[in-house]
Amino acid sequence: MSTPAIRASGLSKRFGAVLAVDDLSLRVEPGEVFGFLGPNGAGKSTTIRMLLGLARPSAGTARIFDDPASDVRRAHRHLAYVPADVALWPTLTGAEVLELLGRVGPGTDREYRAELVRRFALDVDRPARTYSTGNRQKVALVAAFATRAPLLVLDEPTSGLDPLMEREFRRCVAEARERGQAVFLSSHQLTEVEAVCDRVGILRAGRLVEIAGIAELRRLRRTVVEVSYRDTPPSLVDVPGVVAVEPLAPQRVRFTLSGPPGPALRALSDGDPTAVSMREPALAEIFLEYYGEDR
Amino acid sequence: MTVTRLALRLSYRGALVVALVAGGMSGLVAGTYRTTVGALAGSELRALAENPAIRVLFGPPLALDDPGGFTVWRTGTAVGVVVAAWALLTATRLTRGEEDTGRAELLLGGRLTHTGLAGRALAVVSGGVLVAGAAVALGMVAGGADTAGAVVHAAGVAGTGLTFAAAGALAGQVMPSRAGASGTAVAALGVALLARMLADGTERLAWLGWVTPFGLVARSAPFAGDRVGPLAVLAVPPVLLAAAVLVAGRHRDLGQGRLRRRSARAPRLALLGSVTGFAVRRAVGPTLGWTVGVAGYLLFVGSLVGEIVRFLDENRRFADLAAGAGFTGLGTPAGFAAAMFGVVSIPAGLFAASRIAAATADETARRSTPLLALPLSRTRHLTTEVAVTVAATVALLAVAGAAFSAGSGLPLGAALAGTLTTAPVALLSLGAAALAHGWAPRAVLAVGALPTAGGFLLHTAAPGWLATVSPYAHLAAVPADPPNWPAAAAMTVVAAALAGLGVAGYRRRDLLP
Repeated sequence: MSTPAIRASGLSKRFGAVLAVDDLSLRVEPGEVFGFLGPNGAGKSTTIRMLLGLARPSAGTARIFDDPASDVRRAHRHLAYVPADVALWPTLTGAEVLELLGRVGPGTDREYRAELVRRFALDVDRPARTYSTGNRQKVALVAAFATRAPLLVLDEPTSGLDPLMEREFRRCVAEARERGQAVFLSSHQLTEVEAVCDRVGILRAGRLVEIAGIAELRRLRRTVVEVSYRDTPPSLVDVPGVVAVEPLAPQRVRFTLSGPPGPALRALSDGDPTAVSMREPALAEIFLEYYGEDR
Repeated sequence: MTVTRLALRLSYRGALVVALVAGGMSGLVAGTYRTTVGALAGSELRALAENPAIRVLFGPPLALDDPGGFTVWRTGTAVGVVVAAWALLTATRLTRGEEDTGRAELLLGGRLTHTGLAGRALAVVSGGVLVAGAAVALGMVAGGADTAGAVVHAAGVAGTGLTFAAAGALAGQVMPSRAGASGTAVAALGVALLARMLADGTERLAWLGWVTPFGLVARSAPFAGDRVGPLAVLAVPPVLLAAAVLVAGRHRDLGQGRLRRRSARAPRLALLGSVTGFAVRRAVGPTLGWTVGVAGYLLFVGSLVGEIVRFLDENRRFADLAAGAGFTGLGTPAGFAAAMFGVVSIPAGLFAASRIAAATADETARRSTPLLALPLSRTRHLTTEVAVTVAATVALLAVAGAAFSAGSGLPLGAALAGTLTTAPVALLSLGAAALAHGWAPRAVLAVGALPTAGGFLLHTAAPGWLATVSPYAHLAAVPADPPNWPAAAAMTVVAAALAGLGVAGYRRRDLLP
């Protein structure tokens, strides 16, 4: 068996009375894209800070390609990191930040970096203080993807990106996997994780509740459907995949759909719908339904 | 209302410290007047008042035969500078600083406007200044000075503070960054002091005394006439500047000053190839700024050496007085130079502490995170900052020595030996700041200021054994005396040990925030 890219065992972090991360163990293989899924405040960033040696665990250990996470001079030769909230030196331009991180870092593919700057449409000649959140994130993403490090640790890297750039980001993750780099992607968006990851760890209130393959993750998938109808309400009783039906107003109903949508769509078209809207529920709502109220 | 309370919470500790220092210094000097100064002969007082160099450096001495008058002469400028410096730094921090960190955006998303925010910050800082002024009056009256003179003096201190609070807030609206705003306001403070010196030193420029707060304060003559006219003039600049704050704040974007930087430029890649290079790159600007300020002051003081030495030589009583305040051997050029070099270690130490505080601020603002995610250990990170700061501090002291030599004619070697002798004291401040970076990262500047600013106060004001704790008790008066090598070595070792402890603390703690 090869050396795991990340191996955490029994990681815990306590801030006073609050247990932010509780006995977390996981293993990420080289070349694997691992999703780290959890609602805001579940402890994702705290876990990542411990994996990077930026915060000291209250208990447990973490190793990066078998080097202790606390020995950052060795461990960080294997990784590149994009923080959740990217802050840059305000007077340095994007190009200067890339130069600094590239030359002090574990090795950079300059040609690929130039290509990434183009693809992310990043204006590198402006000082960082004029950058929006999304632009600062792009600088950090370009720097990380351009490294030759075998592990990329990305903490909610798309929160400031627009949909076009998000698509570019997913391409970059795929290219990283092709090059054999492992990616540790923290996210609170089910669709993002589903789109790019091989395996997913689910974090809830500081505990790793499950590690699942993408196929198993589909069980979690939910769509909230709201239907307006003219006269007769659609008959949704005993339709496979339809749960939690609740009338919203006269001539308006909401239900949650899980699994294949065919039966539900047929049931709707049998009635007399005037409008249908669908949305993905927030992760917290899905978790609440799936794992219940426990903490 | 809530915003005002927030500004209060962000500034009240500093305000209390400033009030304590200002009131304490004034009270202590007034209270010990009888025992230290005693009765001076009238001829000596006249000689003092007429000496141009004394007038330039310490302000025109008036009513030295009165405890209040003596206190004003001895502490007035220092207290005014302390209050003004706190006021302007706090005003820029609460306005431009809060915008730079992006925190102000949260507040301004609501109904509050820029001018509303700046106005509230200015009001809170002005409140702090008034408290400091009240503390000065109370301290002096408690020390046995007349109430009327104490109130006039305190009003002068408060007026000076209010002027620079408003100047800081205005700089916060105009300049594009907090560092730029603070730098501009500090420079204005320096110019105001210099204008007072020129006004008191040269007949032709005496009118300058009416345009600088420090000159107006001197002309209000506490305990020697208690004139209200200059104080009325002093009430004008705070009002004008505050109005300017409101106008300047109205037509600008959040996070931008009235002056904007060029938005795009070609990359400057020098010194970006290594951690050390990058530390040097960040240190160059601040080092130049501090060096120009300190060296400029020493050049100016150096040019006055001849006058002052002649005066002190002819008036032994004052030399003895100065010796009581920690300045021995002022009566010779070398002794006077040594005393000035001792004073210069204070800004040198504060500069060193401010560099470590800047590193802490980078960490708090998460700017260091991308760097610390590279193969760079915490030990290496802090050690590099400390090493670069040691080099910068030594360079600052060397340039300051050269400037004094150029101004005074003291041989360059003697001047360099003198300023560099004080390096271990400045390094104590650096070590203390590094210690705080590891163990108390919210108090880096305060802890770093203790060995120099605190040590100097202790040395000049504290009685007997307590004063020997101060590093200044062990600083040889080079070039008048030979260097105290064992003490210098001991201080350097202590500084290194403090820095080492700081590195150990930094290694084991979590990164902020």
